[in-house]
Amino acid sequence: MLGYLAQRETATATELARELPVTRQAVAKHLAALREVGLVSSARLGRETRYRLTPEPLTPALEWMLDVGGAWDARLEALRRHLGRR
Amino acid sequence: MEVRRQTVFEAEREEVWDALTDPERLREWFANDVELDLRPGGSGTFRWDDGAVRHATVARVEEARELELLWWDDDGAESVVTISLAECPEGTRVTVVESPVRAGLQAPAEWSWGVELLASAERSRPLARLR
Repeated sequence: MLGYLAQRETATATELARELPVTRQAVAKHLAALREVGLVSSARLGRETRYRLTPEPLTPALEWMLDVGGAWDARLEALRRHLGRR
Repeated sequence: MEVRRQTVFEAEREEVWDALTDPERLREWFANDVELDLRPGGSGTFRWDDGAVRHATVARVEEARELELLWWDDDGAESVVTISLAECPEGTRVTVVESPVRAGLQAPAEWSWGVELLASAERSRPLARLR
């Protein structure tokens, strides 16, 4: 979802839910959590709330965290399977 | 800035340590070819069949408890990795922390927490990862 937001100026929860295989409710929950920690900001325009990534130079640091986090998730899963087979 | 993961394995601490540090075992789940000198200052090399290579220097070893190393791939970007093992009722709790050495990667402290929040939410309700 963060990758998606990085490619668009702004998006609503509905738009994100349409593009991703999750419910609008799940998207809204994620967005609220991300807003709480300052990764996204939001603005109400009429009845819509539009979200955008906060404007700091985030891409290298965020990509690093996502890549390395994903790598460790995969490694720990592989370790789990390895330990389970013994 | 750091990435942190913590998980519990249903296995004894010595068994998990072995799986994490014995080159023969590492070849079974981590990489296709492994050399690792598990002493402070020792070198490690991890190779994968797709041509990827990772190098490491061991910084600190506390037998069956904690391993700290510096590692980097062919891009050269170095990280410090700390792996800690602790006994718990279900088996062994493993905590991994990786942080980049490179000063250029700056991020507000909240982001680590935010990304962890997203990551743990994704684990319980998986979203498609967009690449």
